[in-house]
Amino acid sequence: MNIKLAVFKFASCDGCQLQILNMEDEILQLTGKIEIAYFMEATSRKLEEPYDIALVEGSISTKWQEKHIEKIRANSKYLIAIGACATAGGIQALRNWSKNEDYSKKVYPKPEWIDTLAESKPISDYVNVDYEVRGCPVNKDQLLWILSQLIIGKEPFTPTHSLCIQCKIEGNTCIMVADGKPCLGPITMAGCGALCPKYNRGCYGCFGPMDASQAEKLAEHFINMGMSKREVTLMFKGFTSWSKPFRKVVSKYGGDED
Amino acid sequence: MHTRGLPLKKLGLVIGDWRDLERLFKYLKDSGYRIIGPKVDGNVIKLKELKSLREFPKQISDHQAPGYYRLEEGDFFRNGDDSPKKYLFPPKMEIFKVNRDLSISFREIEKVKIAFFGIKSCDTASITIMDKVLGERGDSFYKHFRKELFIVTENCIKPGENCFCSSMGTGPRVQSGFDISFTRIDGKILFEAGSERGVKILEKLKLPHANAKLKKKFIEVLEKAAEKAKANFEKRFLAEKLELAIESPIWKELAEKCLGCGNCTMVCPTCFCFDIYDEVFLDEYSKRVRYWDSCFTYKHAEVAGGHFRPELWARYRQWLLHKFSYWKRQFDMLGCVGCGRCITWCPVGIDIRKAVEKVLKWVDENVR
Ligand code: SF4
Ligand code: SF4
Ligand code: SF4
Ligand code: SF4
Repeated sequence: MNIKLAVFKFASCDGCQLQILNMEDEILQLTGKIEIAYFMEATSRKLEEPYDIALVEGSISTKWQEKHIEKIRANSKYLIAIGACATAGGIQALRNWSKNEDYSKKVYPKPEWIDTLAESKPISDYVNVDYEVRGCPVNKDQLLWILSQLIIGKEPFTPTHSLCIQCKIEGNTCIMVADGKPCLGPITMAGCGALCPKYNRGCYGCFGPMDASQAEKLAEHFINMGMSKREVTLMFKGFTSWSKPFRKVVSKYGGDED
Repeated sequence: MHTRGLPLKKLGLVIGDWRDLERLFKYLKDSGYRIIGPKVDGNVIKLKELKSLREFPKQISDHQAPGYYRLEEGDFFRNGDDSPKKYLFPPKMEIFKVNRDLSISFREIEKVKIAFFGIKSCDTASITIMDKVLGERGDSFYKHFRKELFIVTENCIKPGENCFCSSMGTGPRVQSGFDISFTRIDGKILFEAGSERGVKILEKLKLPHANAKLKKKFIEVLEKAAEKAKANFEKRFLAEKLELAIESPIWKELAEKCLGCGNCTMVCPTCFCFDIYDEVFLDEYSKRVRYWDSCFTYKHAEVAGGHFRPELWARYRQWLLHKFSYWKRQFDMLGCVGCGRCITWCPVGIDIRKAVEKVLKWVDENVR
C-alpha cells in the first residue's frame, strides 16, 4: 500500500515545498511508493485523512495556525518540520524582537485587519515533531534521504554535527582561516553540503544550531576579530535567529535594537 | 632523535638539480604512477594529482599562525589543510551496496599506483602511523592502496611557525618510511634513498655523490631547521606524564574557547574516526558509506542509556590525551607528528603546543 504524503504550509515563502518540486529526477524513486494526499502547490486533488507522513513548512504565526497544526498532528503518523521557518521560526521571527503593531502600522494601510500572534515560532513549540529537516531552503537531497529512509522502514538519520566537518569532507578551504572572513560554520548544523564556503562566503547559519552549539563563544571570537557588536548581531539575526543559541547571542549583543 | 650524527643512508647523498628532480618525476610517471603532490589551489596548497613538476609550488611560501593561513611569494612551503590521509582514508567512501534482492556488491577497488611527491617528513611519519592504525587492523582498501604506494619526501629546510615535528621525532629530516627524499640546498637538490626501491631508482639517475662540504651544509641546514621546529616539551615520558592530569580541572580552562567544530580532527593527518551511514536509494540499493567523524561531535560518545563525554571540555581532553597519551598504549607510538595543522586550521586558533605545555606544568605543580 502506498504511503500517503501530505505537504502543509504555514508562515513561509514556499521555497521548501519548491525543493520537492525541484526533485525532477529524484522524484522517480518515490513514484509508486508514495501517494500525494495533500500538496496544494502541486495539485488541488485532496485525499482523506489520516496521512502517513506530513511535511510541514512554515512557522506558527497566527491563532488559526495554532489550531490547524494540532489537527495535522492528530491526523499524521509522522510529522516532519521542514525548513528554517518550521524548525526555528524563520526570517519572520525577526519581529519577535519588536512590537508587532509597529511593523503593521508601517507596512499595511489597514493595520487593524492584521491578526497575528506576538511571535513567530517553530512547529515544535506547539506540537510534537518527529523529525526536522533544516535549511533555508531545505536541501532536496537531505529531504529525499529522510523520506527514503522512512519509506524503507529505517529510523531516519541525518548528521547533527558542525558544518565545518562537512566543509572539510567536501574538500573546501576554510575561509575563516585562509581569508579572515567570519563564518557561522563552526556552530551551525551540517546538511547543506557547505554551499556558502564552497562559493567563498561565510556560512550564514540557515541550518540553525548544531548539537551543543557554542554560538556565544563564536560571537565572542568575532568581537576579538574586530567586528562590532552590531555586525555580530546581524550575523546571528538571520534565518534561524529565534533558535535558542542564536537568540542568546542576539540578546547579548543586540538587545532590542533592530 | 634529531639529525645530529645520523649515518647517511645506503647510497649516501647524491647531488643534482631541479632538472634531475624532473627526471625523477618523469621516471615515476612513465612507470605508471599517478603522482600526487602539493599544488596551489585557490589560496591554499592541496595535495592533488600533478601532471608535471611545473605545478609544484616552487616560489611559494605558506605563512601559518594559530587560526591563520596565507600564501605568499617565497621559496619554501610546508603544508596545507589536507594531507595523505585524504587518499589513504578517504573522507567519504562507499564500502558496499545492498541490492534490493538483498545480494551484496562490494565496491571495486580501483587499481592505481600512487606516488606521493614532495610531501614533508611529518606527513611521511603520519603514513607510518596509519599503517599501524588501518593497515595492521585489516582495512582492505588501505592495504591495497598502500601496497603500491611510492613516497618521495622533501626535507624541510624552513619549518613554519606552527611546526613542531622536531619535538615529536618526525622531522624536519625524514628518517624512515620513505623511498626517496630530496632537499633544496644552495640551488642544488640533494637526494637520498630510504628503501631498496628508492636505491634502484636513484642509481638509474646516475648522480654524483655529494662532497664533504655539501654534506656538512646539508647537516647544518637540517639541524638548524630542527631547532626551529620545536615545541617547549619533549617526547620522552610525555604520554605517561600527561595521563597524570586526567582528573585535572585544567581541561575546562584549555577548552574555554573551543567550539567543538572538529576542524582540528579533520585536518589532522592521523585522526581516523569514522561513522557509517546507510544511504537509501529506493529503486536500486542501499549504500553503506564511511564518512570522517570526530571525537568533538556531541554524538560521538553517546551510547544507549548515557553519554561518556557530554561536556565539551571532556571532548577536548579526549582529543589531546588520545593523540599524546592513550595512543601509546593503543599503538605503541604517539599519534601526533607535529605538523601544526590543527593549530593553523582551528578557527579560533587554539594551540595544541600551548595546551600540552600547560598540562605538563599542572602535572609538575600538582602531582608528586
Ligand atoms: S569555511 Fe566555515 S564551515 Fe568551512 S571549515 Fe571554515 S568555519 Fe567551518
Ligand atoms: S612539521 Fe616538520 S616536517 Fe612537517 S612541514 Fe613542519 S618542518 Fe616540515
Ligand atoms: S595533533 Fe595537530 S600537530 Fe599533531 S599531527 Fe594532528 S594536526 Fe598535526
Ligand atoms: S580545538 Fe579548535 S578546531 Fe578543534 S574543535 Fe575546538 S575550536 Fe574546533
